[in-house]
Amino acid sequence: MPEGILCNKQVVDTKEKLNALLADKSGKQYYAEMKLLDVDTKALWATLEKTCRSRLRTWLEICAHCGMCADSCYFYLANDKDPKQVPSYKIQSTLGEIIKRKGKVDNDFMRMVMDTAWSKCSCCNRCATYCPFGIDMGVMLGYVRGLCFAQGFVPWELKIGSGMHRIYNAQMDITTEDWVDTCEWMAEEYEEDWPGLEIPVDKENADIIYTVNAREPKHYPEDLAEAAILFHLAGENWTVPSQGWEETSLAMFAGDWGACKIQVESVYAAMDRLKPKRMVVTECGHAYRATVIEGPYWAGLKSGKTPVESFHYVEWVAEALRTGKLKIDPAKRIKEPVTYQDSCNYVRNAGLGDCAREIMSYVAEDFREMRPCREHNFCCGGGGGLNGIGLYRQQRNTALKVKRDQILATGAKMVVAPCHNCWDAIRDLEEVYKIGIRWTFLKPMLLGMVEVPEHFKPQEE
Amino acid sequence: MFKKILFATTASPACDNAAKVAFDLEMKWDAELCVFHVLGVPSRGFSSFVTDVRTGENEQIDPDYVDWVTEEMKNTYADLLKDSENSTLEAVIGVPHREILRKARADNVDLIIMGAHTRDEDIGAARYRSVVGSTMQKVAKSARCPVVIISRPCTTCWKLFSNIVVGTDFSKPATSSFLWAARLAKEVNARLHLFHAVDIHASEPGKVKGQAEIEAHIEAARKKIDAKYLSQLKGFDNYEIGIREGTPYVEILKFAREKQADLIVMAHHTREIDPELALLGSTVEQVVLRSSCPVASVNHPDKAIAEKS
Repeated sequence: MPEGILCNKQVVDTKEKLNALLADKSGKQYYAEMKLLDVDTKALWATLEKTCRSRLRTWLEICAHCGMCADSCYFYLANDKDPKQVPSYKIQSTLGEIIKRKGKVDNDFMRMVMDTAWSKCSCCNRCATYCPFGIDMGVMLGYVRGLCFAQGFVPWELKIGSGMHRIYNAQMDITTEDWVDTCEWMAEEYEEDWPGLEIPVDKENADIIYTVNAREPKHYPEDLAEAAILFHLAGENWTVPSQGWEETSLAMFAGDWGACKIQVESVYAAMDRLKPKRMVVTECGHAYRATVIEGPYWAGLKSGKTPVESFHYVEWVAEALRTGKLKIDPAKRIKEPVTYQDSCNYVRNAGLGDCAREIMSYVAEDFREMRPCREHNFCCGGGGGLNGIGLYRQQRNTALKVKRDQILATGAKMVVAPCHNCWDAIRDLEEVYKIGIRWTFLKPMLLGMVEVPEHFKPQEE
Repeated sequence: MFKKILFATTASPACDNAAKVAFDLEMKWDAELCVFHVLGVPSRGFSSFVTDVRTGENEQIDPDYVDWVTEEMKNTYADLLKDSENSTLEAVIGVPHREILRKARADNVDLIIMGAHTRDEDIGAARYRSVVGSTMQKVAKSARCPVVIISRPCTTCWKLFSNIVVGTDFSKPATSSFLWAARLAKEVNARLHLFHAVDIHASEPGKVKGQAEIEAHIEAARKKIDAKYLSQLKGFDNYEIGIREGTPYVEILKFAREKQADLIVMAHHTREIDPELALLGSTVEQVVLRSSCPVASVNHPDKAIAEKS
């Protein structure tokens, strides 16, 4: 049974394995090895028998092939209504076929399944909203990703990403020391402009435990400073954990359920250890879905809920504006037309559409909805890990067209995107299609428009 | 005074003048020099792609690529490296200003040196100018040590400096620039020129100030210089005071030229940093772009006062 040196059925759980993968530019050797990788059909069938249970099997069987899901899928729309992009077809031709053949599929077939699961579906779950039976092809293709991962058929970047989670409890190589030092650094850097600014680490019984996306401390620590300033202005009693601070899960994108469990348990352990009243996560969509929606099940929590109540950043901002903890300077509200990108991961999975509208009512004078929006909004085009997969760059760029047209139709030049992946996809679509738009997270936008009471300002000499 | 120097470079001809100064300082002060280049800007969300700083193209980075860039840096600076005794080359991935600040903090450097584009005819100048401009501004604002920006050839060895101009607006950061300038002036035995410009447009745009009012401002500035700075010179008497009225950046440039300044020292402490507005936004940017001598931006007291050994 040929197993590659880089592409194999093993999980990445040592720095040696991780570094070997990282050194393989664009996964060249990795993908070459994948072409020779054997499918362990027995193990595949055993997994299916054990985990493909009544819900998924019923869904597969009751699908009436009515095609109602077709127009709900942005891949279908962006690819000139290619029948192979109909969600129902995508799942029947992959999972349906594997089950029909009792797991006896070959390498070519598995590579087709991988292409389908990662380059033709971002698990945005929009199709489920339109299926008369409520069949969720996003959930099913998410499940298919798990089957692929176990067999070694997973995009190179995601094999690396899931390995990072296993080794660092974060999607990037950031140690506890790096993280704590970054918190100190940001407090130090911004303290002059914001006297009394702190980033408290491991404070027990705080009102809020704040968790982030590893790309913030790694490359964009300003984001952490901005969060700190807004908490400071709002008078929050908050903290960050020294361990268990990473909320994202590339493991979820990869279908590495073992790593998913390890990752969320690190966050839940921080909640148990520090006993905060609630948790707030940064402006990241999939992080919220992984840790708040899916996580409790991965961790086997019977309540189906996180150990303490958990909130997305948009919920905190809406609350802070509603209660007057943060006040917007009316003169600084956005005058130009502005639109808002609902992240699938918290709008369809948690129904946070109202928070966004509430925030926009405080900050924008000419807010324009994308059509459709809220629970019916389209994925940005880069969700589910697609933004980061080099192999599927072209498919991603094509998929961006739907969001591009939605934004253009609003006439807005500014897009508020409180999700790292949405933010990236919108930036990239500007790079690819040059439609003359700008985009922002909530934090820098709010910092430019909140009222700052005198006692928060630095004293001039 | 300069034990560790960080030369933050775009590894392009834009930084050639700065490179010469950096390597010269390394030799003359027996300092450690780190030649530091940030090669690719990563995305906000999950992605292994970075935007190459030089080409603007998307690249997937691997260790070989980083090694290759480091190797290229070696070629670029081959001539200067020949005589260098204590320098290292480093290329990293990240957002330029952030990585420069991270490195400066981690190594506790005494000075950051950066280059700046000044000529439009240079290939890619506009692109560099916006990247370098906003990077420079962000680094200058947050760095704990002085940041020296060099845009034109600087042939005078730092040890032979004879005139150092320090411009002040009497802010807190300006005190740090004064202290550092005074420290350097003492160290190299240069004349220190304390300079202030009364901004005639500052209070009410469009309103022309009367001569009496301007003179009152000048008198007040002189008193402030006496009170705030002169007492801190502690016996150092190789200084003079210059006060002019006008547009600050124009006046400081004219003054520096008149005094044949080898270095201009200023604080740089705008709170608003909008990358789109960054480059030409403030006095210090104007001075950097137009000055014929190096410009040092000093905003924090950390390196302004000599460490007690």
